[in-house]
Amino acid sequence: MPAATIRHRHGASFTPITPLLLLSLGKSMTSSTSTSQTKNTVYIAVFAAMIAAMGLLPPITLGIIPVPITLQTLGVMLAGALLGPWRGAMASLVVVVLALAGLPLLAGGRGGFGVFLGPTGGYLLGWILGSLIIGALFKYWVLRITGKTAQFFAGLLSVIAGGIGGIYLCGVPWTAMVTGLDLGTSLLGSAAFLPGDLFKAVVTTLVALTVHRSYRGLMK
Amino acid sequence: MIAAHNTSYLSRIKPGWKFGSLLVLSIALYMITSWQVLLVAFVLSVFLLASARVPMKFLRGPLISITIILGVVFILLGIQTDWLNALRSVLRLLTMCLLAYSVSLTTRFSEMLELFQQVASPLRYVGGNPDQIALALSMTIRFIPELKKVYIEVREAQHARGLANNPLAVTVPLVVRSLKIADETAEALDARGYDSAPTRR
Repeated sequence: MPAATIRHRHGASFTPITPLLLLSLGKSMTSSTSTSQTKNTVYIAVFAAMIAAMGLLPPITLGIIPVPITLQTLGVMLAGALLGPWRGAMASLVVVVLALAGLPLLAGGRGGFGVFLGPTGGYLLGWILGSLIIGALFKYWVLRITGKTAQFFAGLLSVIAGGIGGIYLCGVPWTAMVTGLDLGTSLLGSAAFLPGDLFKAVVTTLVALTVHRSYRGLMK
Repeated sequence: MIAAHNTSYLSRIKPGWKFGSLLVLSIALYMITSWQVLLVAFVLSVFLLASARVPMKFLRGPLISITIILGVVFILLGIQTDWLNALRSVLRLLTMCLLAYSVSLTTRFSEMLELFQQVASPLRYVGGNPDQIALALSMTIRFIPELKKVYIEVREAQHARGLANNPLAVTVPLVVRSLKIADETAEALDARGYDSAPTRR
């Protein structure tokens, strides 16, 4: 794969301390935009890797819920809730692109173009929409609420809207279209995953609000 | 689903051609309504996949999962409409998936990424930055094993405290440590003078 080009701005490595300080001061003043862009790219990559790593782990079975829970959509929800709409959607997009390119990143070691053309391909597209919705609602609504309880319920509602509403909105019609089943049956089929998804939504909300409290300015 | 060392004739075709024909064939399959033609297409796709000489161990997992999903679809469709319609749908999907496997499993990952980069390069004209996209993709691959390690470490640490089944006690440290890794990496890139402004070509 073509390596990203790294260009050096200042080549000299043995500069006396004062000019070096001045240089770094000048740098921080002039290139604040490129610094934040690099940071955005790294955040996107780390959260994409988190989504991928969660798919590689064995699914968890909880006593109350019959279907085993894969953690992958937890990563998708977290990316939106923590990084905001644009970066969250990019993190999901990166995972989808890498999976389509053939890396076995999806839950159960799946990957490749067959997944996309198959009946469950729409859910992958839904990830991108889902993290976009969650990110937008968190950025412009949830994080501006001051009351703790109100914030929790607003957060939960946002994660459900994006992480369940947004993802199913793409996945259910896709299954119906690809297989020829009607929408109702297709929706009924995805209902098996609803308890697990609700559980993940609660976890995402609690985690996101806790992290936002200690890591302020994550979404500027 | 990566072509590890595929040396068949399919691996020598340019990836752009393979994906182009996959797209065209998939659209064509949706136009076909006669089940006899679909059956012929299915048999042909089986031969295509067999001619790619892909080791069975790469195929077993995906084939089992697609068979289970399509089995459910077949039964539901058969009950709802008629069995001929169900057969048509399932044959079409199976053909498409087999064609997609033949393309995926005979194309190297690096070729695939190059193709994506070519597809994404017009984004430069609408304000996108293909270099940043390439950086994000390659960095993600590098971070996956690291984050998996962090997850296992956190899980073990919480297990020692009796908190292994508490999702919050595992996820919060995982997220905080990931953010720390991201901050450190961004600082390291800046310290080395990585320039993220789009290159003019």
